[in-house]
Amino acid sequence: MDLTEILSSVEIFEGLEPAELSLVAQICRERRLHPGEAITEQGDLGDELYIVTDGFVEVSLGEGAATSRVVVNLGRGQIIGEMALVDQGPRSATVRAIVDPTEVQVIQRQDFERLCQGNYKIGYIVMRNIAADLSFKLRHRNLSER
Amino acid sequence: MPVYKVSFVIAGGDHPGAIVNMSRPPEVGERVKLGNKIFQVVEVLNLIPPRGEFHYIHATCRTEEKPKSGKVSKK
Repeated sequence: MDLTEILSSVEIFEGLEPAELSLVAQICRERRLHPGEAITEQGDLGDELYIVTDGFVEVSLGEGAATSRVVVNLGRGQIIGEMALVDQGPRSATVRAIVDPTEVQVIQRQDFERLCQGNYKIGYIVMRNIAADLSFKLRHRNLSER
Repeated sequence: MPVYKVSFVIAGGDHPGAIVNMSRPPEVGERVKLGNKIFQVVEVLNLIPPRGEFHYIHATCRTEEKPKSGKVSKK
């Protein structure tokens, strides 16, 4: 499956035309992860957005083994690092691969911002969809705590 | 092609649940593999209205009490 086809099944790109998906694909870089390998560490600075294209990652809060707890697992099509992309704050959670293989596509903030500034339609659609993704994650969290 | 974004919540136990995109919605009674663990789906409902090709589903699962033979959906 080619990358634009994979990206078309990721919610944050919902509404983009094939030519626009190709522009997004040009700024993606594939990364493979081993189980236990961290993508982000809570508190670190980060300037990358990750899209899970295969496998699973676990998202945990708290620093150190004694206080750390897993709050959700994310599988194919889910995004990681969107908070730091939007607010440029430190990473809010630690994210680790939990199965083999786990693959992500990586987008650098600078490349993403350049793409959005050069094409406001892409910028509007992706930002709207990131807001929808954050909303879905909040709904999941609310349901988990019923 | 439709995409089903599913919020899996695990009833009981300490599993945090999962969010994953699927090519079809989960079904009650189906066994699903989330990460390294297998669960049984006990409830499925639409969480919010669909948008474009994306459908938003909530599924409640329970931990399997004992190993069973049969097909498992890998997510």
